[in-house]
Amino acid sequence: MSRSMKKGPYVQPKLLRRVEEMNRSGERKVIRTWSRASTIFPQFVGHTMAIHDGRRHVPIYITENMVGHKLGEFAPTRFFRGHVRSEKSTRAR
Amino acid sequence: MIKTAEGQPSAVFHIFNITIFFGNSMDSTQPAKTIYIHRNQRVHVPDGYLAVGRVIGVHGLRGEVKVELHTDFPERFQPGLQLFLGEALQPVSIRQARPHKGHMLILFDAYHSRSAVENMRNTWLFVHEDHAIELSEDEYWVHDIVGLAVYTDDGQHLGQVADVLATGANDVYIVEPVGLINKGREILLPAIAEVIQQVDLAAGRLIVKLPEGILD
Repeated sequence: MSRSMKKGPYVQPKLLRRVEEMNRSGERKVIRTWSRASTIFPQFVGHTMAIHDGRRHVPIYITENMVGHKLGEFAPTRFFRGHVRSEKSTRAR
Repeated sequence: MIKTAEGQPSAVFHIFNITIFFGNSMDSTQPAKTIYIHRNQRVHVPDGYLAVGRVIGVHGLRGEVKVELHTDFPERFQPGLQLFLGEALQPVSIRQARPHKGHMLILFDAYHSRSAVENMRNTWLFVHEDHAIELSEDEYWVHDIVGLAVYTDDGQHLGQVADVLATGANDVYIVEPVGLINKGREILLPAIAEVIQQVDLAAGRLIVKLPEGILD
Protein backbone atom coordinates (compact mmCIF):
# COMPACT_ATOMS: atom_id res chain seq x y z
CA MET A 1 0.00 0.00 0.00
CA SER A 2 1.39 3.40 -0.90
CA ARG A 3 1.97 6.23 1.51
CA SER A 4 -0.98 8.46 2.36
CA MET A 5 -1.12 11.71 0.34
CA LYS A 6 -2.17 13.52 3.50
CA LYS A 7 1.23 12.96 5.12
CA GLY A 8 3.27 14.11 2.15
CA PRO A 9 6.61 12.55 1.15
CA TYR A 10 8.79 11.18 3.94
CA VAL A 11 12.00 12.90 4.91
CA GLN A 12 13.93 12.50 8.13
CA PRO A 13 13.13 15.76 10.00
CA LYS A 14 16.69 16.14 11.28
CA LEU A 15 18.09 15.85 7.75
CA LEU A 16 15.72 18.45 6.34
CA ARG A 17 16.50 20.77 9.24
CA ARG A 18 20.25 20.45 8.61
CA VAL A 19 19.87 21.16 4.90
CA GLU A 20 17.68 24.19 5.54
CA GLU A 21 20.15 25.54 8.10
CA MET A 22 22.97 25.16 5.56
CA ASN A 23 20.89 26.85 2.87
CA ARG A 24 20.27 29.80 5.21
CA SER A 25 23.93 30.15 6.13
CA GLY A 26 25.20 29.43 2.58
CA GLU A 27 27.50 26.76 3.96
CA ARG A 28 28.51 23.80 1.76
CA LYS A 29 29.54 20.65 3.55
CA VAL A 30 29.11 16.94 2.87
CA ILE A 31 26.10 15.73 4.87
CA ARG A 32 26.36 12.22 6.20
CA THR A 33 23.11 10.35 6.49
CA TRP A 34 21.87 6.87 7.21
CA SER A 35 18.37 7.79 6.09
CA ARG A 36 18.11 6.03 2.73
CA ALA A 37 14.31 6.23 2.89
CA SER A 38 14.24 10.03 2.86
CA THR A 39 12.76 11.61 -0.25
CA ILE A 40 14.95 14.15 -2.06
CA PHE A 41 13.38 17.57 -1.59
CA PRO A 42 14.08 20.60 -3.82
CA GLN A 43 16.02 22.12 -0.90
CA PHE A 44 18.62 19.35 -1.26
CA VAL A 45 19.67 20.37 -4.79
CA GLY A 46 23.32 21.44 -4.95
CA HIS A 47 24.33 19.63 -1.76
CA THR A 48 26.58 16.59 -1.60
CA MET A 49 25.15 13.88 0.60
CA ALA A 50 27.10 10.91 1.85
CA ILE A 51 24.48 8.16 1.87
CA HIS A 52 25.09 5.01 3.84
CA ASP A 53 25.22 1.83 1.78
CA GLY A 54 25.38 -0.49 4.77
CA ARG A 55 29.14 -0.26 5.08
CA ARG A 56 30.28 3.25 4.24
CA HIS A 57 28.94 6.58 3.05
CA VAL A 58 28.72 7.10 -0.72
CA PRO A 59 28.99 10.80 -1.67
CA ILE A 60 26.28 11.84 -4.10
CA TYR A 61 25.83 15.30 -5.56
CA ILE A 62 22.12 16.08 -5.63
CA THR A 63 20.76 17.48 -8.89
CA GLU A 64 17.35 18.72 -9.90
CA ASN A 65 16.28 15.58 -11.73
CA MET A 66 16.79 13.51 -8.56
CA VAL A 67 14.02 15.36 -6.69
CA GLY A 68 11.22 13.00 -5.67
CA HIS A 69 13.44 9.93 -5.59
CA LYS A 70 14.71 8.36 -2.38
CA LEU A 71 18.31 8.90 -1.28
CA GLY A 72 18.90 5.15 -1.11
CA GLU A 73 18.32 4.77 -4.83
CA PHE A 74 21.68 6.42 -5.46
CA ALA A 75 23.84 4.42 -3.07
CA PRO A 76 23.95 0.83 -4.33
CA THR A 77 24.31 -1.76 -1.60
CA ARG A 78 25.96 -4.34 -3.83
CA PHE A 79 29.17 -3.43 -5.49
CA PHE A 80 30.61 -5.36 -8.41
CA ARG A 81 34.38 -5.30 -8.42
CA GLY A 82 36.56 -6.75 -11.13
CA HIS A 83 36.07 -4.70 -14.23
CA VAL A 84 38.17 -5.75 -17.20
CA ARG A 85 39.80 -3.18 -19.47
CA SER A 86 36.68 -2.42 -21.42
CA GLU A 87 34.88 0.36 -23.20
CA LYS A 88 33.44 1.78 -19.97
CA SER A 89 33.78 5.49 -19.44
CA THR A 90 33.52 7.86 -16.53
CA ARG A 91 32.87 11.57 -16.45
CA ALA A 92 35.53 12.99 -14.21
CA ARG A 93 34.35 16.57 -13.84
CA MET B 1 50.78 -6.87 -11.57
CA ILE B 2 53.22 -9.66 -12.40
CA LYS B 3 55.52 -9.10 -15.33
CA THR B 4 57.87 -11.53 -16.98
CA ALA B 5 60.08 -9.70 -19.42
CA GLU B 6 63.23 -11.11 -21.04
CA GLY B 7 62.99 -14.20 -18.88
CA GLN B 8 63.47 -12.20 -15.69
CA PRO B 9 60.48 -12.51 -13.43
CA SER B 10 59.62 -9.40 -11.52
CA ALA B 11 56.64 -8.63 -9.37
CA VAL B 12 54.88 -5.31 -9.05
CA PHE B 13 51.53 -5.58 -7.37
CA HIS B 14 48.57 -3.74 -8.68
CA ILE B 15 45.01 -3.74 -7.45
CA PHE B 16 43.09 -6.06 -9.74
CA ASN B 17 45.07 -6.96 -12.78
CA ILE B 18 48.11 -8.91 -13.72
CA THR B 19 50.19 -8.23 -16.81
CA ILE B 20 52.23 -10.95 -18.41
CA PHE B 21 54.61 -10.37 -21.30
CA PHE B 22 55.01 -13.58 -23.24
CA GLY B 23 58.25 -14.64 -24.88
CA ASN B 24 61.77 -13.53 -24.22
CA SER B 25 61.62 -10.01 -25.51
CA MET B 26 59.19 -7.15 -25.70
CA ASP B 27 59.24 -7.18 -29.52
CA SER B 28 57.59 -10.60 -29.66
CA THR B 29 54.92 -10.90 -32.36
CA GLN B 30 52.40 -12.03 -29.76
CA PRO B 31 50.87 -9.05 -27.98
CA ALA B 32 51.34 -8.72 -24.24
CA LYS B 33 48.24 -9.58 -22.29
CA THR B 34 46.73 -8.20 -19.15
CA ILE B 35 44.91 -10.65 -16.95
CA TYR B 36 41.86 -9.46 -15.04
CA ILE B 37 39.70 -11.39 -12.66
CA HIS B 38 36.05 -11.25 -13.68
CA ARG B 39 33.44 -13.30 -11.81
CA ASN B 40 36.22 -15.49 -10.39
CA GLN B 41 37.53 -16.25 -13.87
CA ARG B 42 40.71 -15.04 -15.47
CA VAL B 43 40.22 -12.79 -18.45
CA HIS B 44 43.16 -12.18 -20.77
CA VAL B 45 42.88 -8.79 -22.43
CA PRO B 46 45.53 -8.33 -25.15
CA ASP B 47 47.28 -4.99 -24.91
CA GLY B 48 45.92 -2.50 -27.38
CA TYR B 49 42.43 -4.00 -27.26
CA LEU B 50 39.33 -3.24 -25.24
CA ALA B 51 36.66 -5.71 -24.20
CA VAL B 52 33.19 -4.82 -25.46
CA GLY B 53 31.26 -7.93 -24.55
CA ARG B 54 31.23 -11.53 -23.45
CA VAL B 55 29.31 -14.37 -25.06
CA ILE B 56 27.12 -15.82 -22.36
CA GLY B 57 25.04 -18.20 -24.42
CA VAL B 58 23.42 -19.05 -27.68
CA HIS B 59 19.94 -18.13 -28.86
CA GLY B 60 17.78 -20.02 -31.29
CA LEU B 61 18.95 -22.28 -34.09
CA ARG B 62 20.35 -19.76 -36.56
CA GLY B 63 23.66 -19.21 -34.77
CA GLU B 64 22.82 -16.11 -32.75
CA VAL B 65 24.86 -15.58 -29.61
CA LYS B 66 23.75 -13.75 -26.50
CA VAL B 67 26.32 -11.11 -25.53
CA GLU B 68 26.71 -9.46 -22.12
CA LEU B 69 27.66 -5.84 -22.75
CA HIS B 70 30.93 -4.42 -21.46
CA THR B 71 30.64 -1.12 -23.27
CA ASP B 72 28.76 2.09 -22.61
CA PHE B 73 27.95 2.24 -26.31
CA PRO B 74 25.68 -0.68 -27.29
CA GLU B 75 24.93 1.14 -30.54
CA ARG B 76 28.43 0.20 -31.70
CA PHE B 77 27.16 -3.31 -32.52
CA GLN B 78 26.17 -2.59 -36.09
CA PRO B 79 26.14 -4.96 -39.08
CA GLY B 80 29.51 -4.91 -40.77
CA LEU B 81 31.52 -4.10 -37.62
CA GLN B 82 34.58 -6.26 -37.13
CA LEU B 83 35.22 -7.65 -33.67
CA PHE B 84 37.95 -9.92 -32.35
CA LEU B 85 36.90 -13.15 -30.71
CA GLY B 86 38.73 -14.53 -27.71
CA GLU B 87 42.39 -14.42 -26.79
CA ALA B 88 43.31 -15.64 -30.25
CA LEU B 89 41.80 -12.41 -31.61
CA GLN B 90 39.95 -14.22 -34.34
CA PRO B 91 38.31 -11.55 -36.53
CA VAL B 92 34.55 -11.88 -36.87
CA SER B 93 32.11 -9.65 -38.65
CA ILE B 94 28.63 -8.81 -37.41
CA ARG B 95 25.81 -9.71 -39.76
CA GLN B 96 22.95 -8.78 -37.48
CA ALA B 97 22.62 -7.37 -33.96
CA ARG B 98 19.57 -6.64 -31.83
CA PRO B 99 18.93 -5.86 -28.17
CA HIS B 100 17.24 -8.52 -26.08
CA LYS B 101 16.48 -8.35 -22.33
CA GLY B 102 19.47 -6.20 -21.45
CA HIS B 103 21.84 -8.15 -23.68
CA MET B 104 22.59 -8.17 -27.39
CA LEU B 105 21.81 -11.00 -29.77
CA ILE B 106 24.49 -11.07 -32.43
CA LEU B 107 24.73 -13.10 -35.60
CA PHE B 108 28.21 -13.38 -37.06
CA ASP B 109 28.93 -13.68 -40.77
CA ALA B 110 30.79 -16.96 -40.71
CA TYR B 111 28.53 -18.86 -38.30
CA HIS B 112 25.17 -20.13 -39.51
CA SER B 113 24.04 -22.71 -36.98
CA ARG B 114 23.66 -23.16 -33.27
CA SER B 115 26.23 -25.96 -33.19
CA ALA B 116 28.83 -23.68 -34.82
CA VAL B 117 28.60 -21.14 -31.98
CA GLU B 118 28.03 -23.50 -29.03
CA ASN B 119 31.71 -23.42 -28.05
CA MET B 120 31.79 -19.61 -27.98
CA ARG B 121 30.33 -19.45 -24.46
CA ASN B 122 32.47 -17.37 -22.09
CA THR B 123 34.47 -15.98 -24.98
CA TRP B 124 35.22 -12.28 -24.89
CA LEU B 125 34.75 -9.87 -27.76
CA PHE B 126 37.36 -7.18 -28.27
CA VAL B 127 37.85 -4.12 -30.43
CA HIS B 128 41.14 -2.47 -31.21
CA GLU B 129 41.80 0.59 -29.04
CA ASP B 130 42.12 2.69 -32.19
CA HIS B 131 38.50 1.84 -33.01
CA ALA B 132 37.13 2.71 -29.59
CA ILE B 133 34.35 5.28 -29.43
CA GLU B 134 35.68 8.84 -29.09
CA LEU B 135 35.01 10.30 -25.66
CA SER B 136 34.03 13.89 -25.08
CA GLU B 137 36.06 16.31 -22.98
CA ASP B 138 36.24 15.37 -19.28
CA GLU B 139 35.33 11.77 -20.06
CA TYR B 140 37.88 9.05 -19.48
CA TRP B 141 38.05 5.30 -19.69
CA VAL B 142 37.57 3.65 -16.32
CA HIS B 143 40.74 1.59 -16.82
CA ASP B 144 42.71 4.83 -17.33
CA ILE B 145 41.42 6.32 -14.08
CA VAL B 146 42.02 3.18 -12.00
CA GLY B 147 45.59 3.24 -10.70
CA LEU B 148 46.07 7.03 -10.78
CA ALA B 149 47.81 8.56 -7.79
CA VAL B 150 45.53 10.97 -5.97
CA TYR B 151 46.84 14.26 -4.62
CA THR B 152 45.03 17.14 -2.98
CA ASP B 153 45.34 20.61 -4.48
CA ASP B 154 47.86 21.47 -1.75
CA GLY B 155 50.07 18.51 -2.69
CA GLN B 156 49.16 15.89 -0.09
CA HIS B 157 49.32 12.34 -1.41
CA LEU B 158 46.04 10.60 -0.55
CA GLY B 159 46.46 7.25 -2.26
CA GLN B 160 45.58 5.47 -5.45
CA VAL B 161 42.29 5.04 -7.30
CA ALA B 162 41.27 1.42 -6.74
CA ASP B 163 37.95 1.35 -8.56
CA VAL B 164 35.12 3.41 -9.97
CA LEU B 165 31.64 2.99 -8.56
CA ALA B 166 28.69 3.79 -10.86
CA THR B 167 25.83 4.98 -8.68
CA GLY B 168 23.18 6.18 -11.09
CA ALA B 169 24.06 9.77 -10.18
CA ASN B 170 27.71 10.86 -10.23
CA ASP B 171 30.46 8.25 -10.41
CA VAL B 172 32.44 7.70 -7.23
CA TYR B 173 36.18 7.09 -7.21
CA ILE B 174 37.32 4.70 -4.53
CA VAL B 175 40.74 5.66 -3.27
CA GLU B 176 42.94 3.23 -1.40
CA PRO B 177 44.63 5.54 1.14
CA VAL B 178 48.30 5.68 2.01
CA GLY B 179 49.13 5.38 5.68
CA LEU B 180 46.53 6.43 8.17
CA ILE B 181 44.75 9.00 6.05
CA ASN B 182 41.00 8.62 6.71
CA LYS B 183 41.96 6.16 9.51
CA GLY B 184 43.22 3.78 6.84
CA ARG B 185 39.74 3.38 5.35
CA GLU B 186 39.06 3.83 1.66
CA ILE B 187 38.18 7.37 0.59
CA LEU B 188 35.13 7.84 -1.62
CA LEU B 189 35.34 10.87 -3.89
CA PRO B 190 32.40 12.06 -5.99
CA ALA B 191 33.44 12.60 -9.61
CA ILE B 192 32.13 16.16 -9.85
CA ALA B 193 33.78 19.37 -11.00
CA GLU B 194 34.04 20.79 -7.46
CA VAL B 195 36.14 17.82 -6.35
CA ILE B 196 38.09 16.61 -9.38
CA GLN B 197 40.37 19.51 -10.25
CA GLN B 198 42.69 17.90 -12.78
CA VAL B 199 43.20 14.54 -14.43
CA ASP B 200 46.74 14.13 -15.71
CA LEU B 201 46.91 10.73 -17.38
CA ALA B 202 50.45 11.29 -18.68
CA ALA B 203 51.76 11.92 -15.18
CA GLY B 204 49.40 9.36 -13.62
CA ARG B 205 47.95 11.95 -11.26
CA LEU B 206 44.53 13.00 -10.14
CA ILE B 207 44.34 16.36 -8.35
CA VAL B 208 41.35 16.72 -6.08
CA LYS B 209 39.91 19.29 -3.73
CA LEU B 210 38.56 17.55 -0.67
CA PRO B 211 35.14 18.87 0.27
CA GLU B 212 34.60 19.53 3.94
CA GLY B 213 33.24 16.48 5.72
CA ILE B 214 34.35 13.86 3.18
CA LEU B 215 36.96 12.27 5.45
CA ASP B 216 36.09 10.36 8.61
